[in-house]
Amino acid sequence: MPIGEPRAVASSGKRGSLLDDQVWRWATFAPALLFMLGLSVLPLVNLVATSFHQVSWVGASAVWQPVGTAHYEALPNDPLFRAGLLNTVIFAVSAVGGQMVLGFALALLCSRIRGGRIFYRTIFILPILIPGIVIGAIWKLMLNFDFGLVNKIVSLFGLMPHDWLGSPATALFSVIIVDIWHWTPFCFLLFLAGLESLPQDVYEAAQIDGANRWQELRYVTVPLMVPTIVVTFAFRLVLAFKVFDEVYLLTGGGPGTSTEVISFTLYQRFFTEDRVGYGSAMGVAVIFLVSLLLVVALNTRRKREGMA
Amino acid sequence: MHMDAFKLTRRQTLAGAGATAMALATRPLWAASAAPITIVINQSPWFDSFRRTVVRYEEETGNKVELDVNPFAGSLEKQRNSVRAANGSYDLLIMNSGWFAEMYAGGFVEAISDIDPGFTLDSDVYTLGNTIYFDPKTRAMTPAGKLMSIPVQPNVPMLYYRGDLYKEAGLKEPETFAELEANAKALHRPPSRYGIVQRGARGTHTVSYDFYPYLYGRGGGIFRDQNVGDYTVTLANDVGVAALEYYIHLAKEAGHPQTASMDQAEVIQNVLTGKAAHVMVVIAAASQMDDKNKSAVVDKIEFAPPPHLPGLPTAPALGHWLGGVSKNVPDDRKRAAVEFLRWFQTKDAQLHYAKSGGIPISAAPYSDPIAEERVNRWMKPLSKALPHAVNIYQFPEAAEVIAVLDLGLNRAISGEIEPAAALNGMADEIQAIVAKHGYKTGRA
Repeated sequence: MPIGEPRAVASSGKRGSLLDDQVWRWATFAPALLFMLGLSVLPLVNLVATSFHQVSWVGASAVWQPVGTAHYEALPNDPLFRAGLLNTVIFAVSAVGGQMVLGFALALLCSRIRGGRIFYRTIFILPILIPGIVIGAIWKLMLNFDFGLVNKIVSLFGLMPHDWLGSPATALFSVIIVDIWHWTPFCFLLFLAGLESLPQDVYEAAQIDGANRWQELRYVTVPLMVPTIVVTFAFRLVLAFKVFDEVYLLTGGGPGTSTEVISFTLYQRFFTEDRVGYGSAMGVAVIFLVSLLLVVALNTRRKREGMA
Repeated sequence: MHMDAFKLTRRQTLAGAGATAMALATRPLWAASAAPITIVINQSPWFDSFRRTVVRYEEETGNKVELDVNPFAGSLEKQRNSVRAANGSYDLLIMNSGWFAEMYAGGFVEAISDIDPGFTLDSDVYTLGNTIYFDPKTRAMTPAGKLMSIPVQPNVPMLYYRGDLYKEAGLKEPETFAELEANAKALHRPPSRYGIVQRGARGTHTVSYDFYPYLYGRGGGIFRDQNVGDYTVTLANDVGVAALEYYIHLAKEAGHPQTASMDQAEVIQNVLTGKAAHVMVVIAAASQMDDKNKSAVVDKIEFAPPPHLPGLPTAPALGHWLGGVSKNVPDDRKRAAVEFLRWFQTKDAQLHYAKSGGIPISAAPYSDPIAEERVNRWMKPLSKALPHAVNIYQFPEAAEVIAVLDLGLNRAISGEIEPAAALNGMADEIQAIVAKHGYKTGRA
């Protein structure tokens, strides 16, 4: 028997065992993978397929008529879609910007407070625990022209009451304020967790080098927090892009198109007007835009990490 | 178990048979064949009166009715989901004027006359612009078609005004737009009280519904003549522009500063809290006016048909509700749903409906002594308005047109765009919509 033979057998046995392992892994993983693909990909495929059809109802049966890319071509000419897109960008950038700044400032303040942690954290996170429908009710009452708390406070200063949700000049601004109130605690929690996990030795080194509080923040805290900031920003931006409940409950997209946002336009076209094909095309466009945002945000993070 | 345990004596058998015979004899006759039914309905100001009437039906007949109650938009969505499924969840669909055409034309509602060829429509029942009929061949709502539904709530907007303030100021009930404006201005005391509160918000069928009486009361309209298939858009003609300019003028001169964001609930809230001297809302809200738990204006509100131009009739827009039987439910449930409708149209049922705060769908209660009662002071003005009620939409794609109107009108009212420009923009969009769906159209 050649000397190498037992070794070859051993090697082939090892390869066989590896192959068996891989087959076994895939065999056990495949059902879960297929299930997940079915859950996430099939609805998308269905949405995309519907977007190339006009669906109508005759004799209680659905009639699918292929229309090619007509729905996609119509999107840029849809005044509601255009207004919704513009307002969504304004809303997302302003609301998320406000939440990031306020959340970071609150987290910085609170990271240095040692006593009463449970109390202030509970108070701060309260808005994200409240259901959207209750938020709508709270702020509809707060901003009511006749008996709202905001106008009561305004009138204490001798100013005239203002129609916060009904005036085109302030409606979107008011919804942005509500969203900032609602979601700042979310940013606060992530930033606080990030701040509390920063290495203390870097701060000690900075203090030995004579850095003051501002320099500590500028050259130590912010650079170290960049990954947390980017992830929080990306996460909130995607969620802000999907805003619906606050607009639906507070303004219904009005006055005019002042608070029209893309999710509301989609609701209007797909559900209210029952334009299933066109609504699906709009849905695909929205998914594409949100995915694009996510890719850009995550790439930015990778680049920053690469530079670091 | 041994079968002997179930043996009965002759006396026991006779007693059992007698008891069964007694029970059958005392049961209402029409309960024998009626299966339990489910009605899908919206949560509107008139819902409670309908619910009480359903309870009366159950008590009288022994039949079971389940109510599936939803918000306005939610009710439509549930109905669509049910009628498009292989087997429907709801037997009786309570359909709004904004979507019953979609249900008829889509083939989702079974004609009552097909379920029960012997069904007779009570001669006192309002046909509300013949919207209870549908001819699938011509897609027209005409008595030549089949009986598709029975009215459930004949909602039209009525003018609610403060009778006490009118008495103090020596004002006369307004019949024309000029009189309405003069009276609204005379009672305008902002911010404690507004001359009129209008429903100018953008919604599912919000500002457009509020605008129709102003448009049709001037002889205007959205289309030239839907009855003959002429969908030429007339919305932006001189009459349309005058109507919208008047609506905005009234809001500025004697209205609420928040008109552009006022929805129906807020308008009703304003009148109930005494902040509105006039409102034009659906008659279904009338019962709330004298409810001591809700209203600060008990016994102070009077009712009138919506104002109009001199020489023209009042033109309240139908925002009514119809009950139609779903096509995709078992036959026994279809028959049971028809039994409910047969009972609902009777004078007794309608009197009970009126006493519960509902708005009768039959002329009978309006000539009954209850129409003379102070609490039912809305009945006579309503009976004057109903014969002039206008059905705004006869086609299934109405939701697309309503969305255009709600947005365009709201933009004009909020000052985002001039009335003429808004109307022209809406007319262009509406023309494109009806053309896309194959209707004969144009601009006038």
